[in-house]
Amino acid sequence: MAKITLEHITKTFGKKTALKDVSLCVEDGEFLVLFGPAGAGKTTLLNMIAGIDDPDSGNIWFDDTPMNFVEPSNRDVAMVFENYALYPQMPVYDNIASPLRSRKHRTDEAGIRKEVERVAAITGMSEYLERRPSQLSNGQRQRVALCRALVRNPNVFLLDEPIAHLDAKLRNAMRKELKLMQKNLDCTSIYVTHDFTEAMSLGDRIAVIRDGEILQVGTNEEVYYRPAWEFVARLFGECEINMIPARIEKRNGRLWAVTRWEGVEFPVPVDVERSLGDVAEVDLGCRTPALAFSREPAAGYVRGSVYSVEPLGNKTELIVDVQGDLIRFIIPVDTKFGIDETVYIGLNPEHIIFFDQKTEAFLACHGEETGTEV
Amino acid sequence: MAENLVLKNLYKKYDTNGKKKQAKEQPWAVHDLNLEMEQGTFVSILGPSGCGKSTTLRMIAGLESITQGSIFMGEQDISSLHPKDRNIGLAFEDYALYPPLTVYENIAFCLRAKKVPGEEIDRRVREIAKTMKVEELLDSKVSGLSGGQKQRVNIARALVRHPKVLLLDEPLSHLDGKMRQILRGEIKRLHHEIKCTTILVTHDQMEAISLADYIAVMKLGVLQQYGTPDEIYNDPANAFVAGFIGDPPMNLLRVKVVEDASYTYAFELGDGSLLRVPEKFYRVIHTGDVFDLGIRPTSITIVEGEEYDARFKVDLFEFLGEERSVGIQINESLLNIVYNDNRRFAEGDIIHIRVNPDLLFLFEPESGERVRPR
Amino acid sequence: MEQKKISEKAVWAVGKVFLVFFVIFSVSPIIWTVIISFKGDNEIFNTFLRFTPTLENYTAVLTTGNYVKAFMDNLIICIGAVAVSVLVGVPAAYALARYQFRKKEDVAFTILSFKFAPEILVVIPLYKIFMSLHLYDTYFGMIWIYQFIGMPLLIWIVRSYFEDIPVEMEKAAELDGYSWFEIFFKMLLPLVRPGLVASALLAFIYCWNSFTFGLMLCSFNVQPITVAALTYIGSDTFHYGQIAVAAIIAIVPEIILCLCIQKHLVRGLSFGAVKG
Repeated sequence: MAKITLEHITKTFGKKTALKDVSLCVEDGEFLVLFGPAGAGKTTLLNMIAGIDDPDSGNIWFDDTPMNFVEPSNRDVAMVFENYALYPQMPVYDNIASPLRSRKHRTDEAGIRKEVERVAAITGMSEYLERRPSQLSNGQRQRVALCRALVRNPNVFLLDEPIAHLDAKLRNAMRKELKLMQKNLDCTSIYVTHDFTEAMSLGDRIAVIRDGEILQVGTNEEVYYRPAWEFVARLFGECEINMIPARIEKRNGRLWAVTRWEGVEFPVPVDVERSLGDVAEVDLGCRTPALAFSREPAAGYVRGSVYSVEPLGNKTELIVDVQGDLIRFIIPVDTKFGIDETVYIGLNPEHIIFFDQKTEAFLACHGEETGTEV
Repeated sequence: MAENLVLKNLYKKYDTNGKKKQAKEQPWAVHDLNLEMEQGTFVSILGPSGCGKSTTLRMIAGLESITQGSIFMGEQDISSLHPKDRNIGLAFEDYALYPPLTVYENIAFCLRAKKVPGEEIDRRVREIAKTMKVEELLDSKVSGLSGGQKQRVNIARALVRHPKVLLLDEPLSHLDGKMRQILRGEIKRLHHEIKCTTILVTHDQMEAISLADYIAVMKLGVLQQYGTPDEIYNDPANAFVAGFIGDPPMNLLRVKVVEDASYTYAFELGDGSLLRVPEKFYRVIHTGDVFDLGIRPTSITIVEGEEYDARFKVDLFEFLGEERSVGIQINESLLNIVYNDNRRFAEGDIIHIRVNPDLLFLFEPESGERVRPR
Repeated sequence: MEQKKISEKAVWAVGKVFLVFFVIFSVSPIIWTVIISFKGDNEIFNTFLRFTPTLENYTAVLTTGNYVKAFMDNLIICIGAVAVSVLVGVPAAYALARYQFRKKEDVAFTILSFKFAPEILVVIPLYKIFMSLHLYDTYFGMIWIYQFIGMPLLIWIVRSYFEDIPVEMEKAAELDGYSWFEIFFKMLLPLVRPGLVASALLAFIYCWNSFTFGLMLCSFNVQPITVAALTYIGSDTFHYGQIAVAAIIAIVPEIILCLCIQKHLVRGLSFGAVKG
């Protein structure tokens, strides 16, 4: 096990900057998820830690040892690649055994057999040890790649989108299996993904990365309930968060948020007021709990019409056209709406996340310290 | 008169280049398919790869010969008509746009082939471009468009000749998550506006449920169930349909009926834990019977207090935003429970659950046929 | 529907008949050569199948003259040339596949362009160079020039095999604790072997059949079999029987190799290494 410290890592490929001054600390034994859209620099960062790529500037430390000039094979790092990178000419057994047969980690054949069978049992691959990678399904190949990385108890365990190529159902099952395996894993792990469900489920902490910059590092509840940027807020949640622009006005000593929808205005919650400062233009980040709907007109509600209704089995996604803005939220499955039906939309201020409209940075939200709903 | 699209005893077997031996073993790509699609409805043909859904679509379009059976449009048998005379618009998954032409010319292409007068073409292209929100793109080349834009143009091209039936072959499968969600809403909206009979072929159950009025679930060329999304979701005909529909997927567990001191009947799960049998099943089960039990993760509630159906030890807790999930390991499989309040559980906690008896399904273990209460 | 099946069968039958004709057409010269090799000089023109078989052509070719030596010379030259091609070509192919350097594609194209010029075009300057370097009529000189015949092809084929192997596989092996040489020999070579074997065999055949260089760049000490066969065309008479024997001996290694190649050419490559 090792604590990984990255200091001011910068990397460019030709003219393109892949990583900009990235500093990150992964605690000993922690499971950290690197999360971001495609092309954000996640894999590059992982390659730096593994030693496959070298940073242009900046330092990498494992505990107190500088790693910049250490060969990949001497870093005691195991990695699962996005495309699995199995050895096609070898059966599964030899694939898994290969790290233990290298000069670095040489083990006698009896020891190898014991270890291979141990990891194969964890991942349920015991019956497939004689097969070749070409005879396996993608899910099984992925498990072989996992076994090969696990077989030698590495210091650091790196996973690069290991389940991204599986179909939805298998991905769901594998995610839970990984989560169950996590507790038996005593090494520092970094997991790269672009799927927010994986990130929230697996990560002790999540580092959100965009265009080579780390935007926020925090637990799943922190990034969900207290996203540091609008961009982070947009990434989390099945139904994308709605950003409703609003003005902040002072009335009778209280601050009011006034949206451009007529009649939709409310006094800002007291604990939010303090953090708003003198920002005049805000974006109201509204997920489903922050939105209320009604079939009848009501005070503080604005009229909209149903743009689209998408039943999703156990819930329904409703898209409402409010004066040209499309608002998305989830309604219970037993609430039926027809397309073009009139619906009135209101806001629940205590669930709204306030962002600065100009900088798109987080300002405040109600009940900030816990993050859970009140 | 309504022009319903009717598939009557449709069979398809692919050619084997005259090799007799293979022809006998060659499975039916489509086997005895009967479907009636009302004019103006949105029907989805859903199934895993190789289930015959695309073959069916291609037979309707006339791109594939019919081995046996016929297709009717209203009263007219269209089985032997040339594709161009069937008045069917088809949008392929991989766009199949003509790269050297502009968007405008791509959309106008089939009208020019039909020698429609120039003014008429112009009017219709602009009209459909407006519906599909590609007006600004009309003069640009196809190669520069994003995936979502290409698919819009693709659908516009299929719609411009005012087809009686619009066929969509996996229209969203090449798009990334966000774009897919947006275009899904657009397609739903589009169907509401043009009211053209639409058939969507997809392997993504979420797409089918959210878009279609009726869903036909297929497996290995055989129709499994045809019904509204609600019926398919809440009243599956067999274990295949039950397991295929729903995200997160339905829990399917092998159970044995035992007699229990307090409950009279109970299901014994693989690890020996017991689940109370809803009374409605008493008349169809006997002690010692083996079933596959299906419960959706959302049909299970975690309760406090005396009245419960089963008690388990928590193995897995996931925070997934608005939803949270608890996993319970039962031998090799995982019983998954999804809820959306803000309770938290830790590994090792004891929980009591109640199952919604209306949404608990039993299936025959061998055939997968549904066992219904009498 | 019935009619359709009948027409399909007709197409199938016509195809088979055509194939039979093609086989006869392509194999008949070889059969004819074999027959001639057993005929005496006087029977060559007057009979076709009915003749008195004789081995005198074989004894003439194998015992007199230098045909056996030419055969051995050819073997030495070709094996040497292929060995050089493989030793130099495989690392070159790896470099062209994996490393980014300036003018990479130009280098690759230049290598391939060696095959563009007709041999006769370069043979005169080469002759002058060989004379002044004292390479004329030596094994070393012949191997040196023969490896140019096969190497471009070998580099291009093996390069594409290397390109098909995902880089991640090498990186994975590196993280597993293997050194670069171990990775190369244990992981990569097995994967490019089908391509390497096939292209090496092709290179061998090209060398074996080469004529121009052998004619111009050597004389008595070293003589390829193609040039030696020429001696049977005497100034006054043609010994057709002996030419036939020479031809048969010359093609035997090639036929054996072709049968080997067939097996390797159809073998798939790094299938299953990555997501399918």
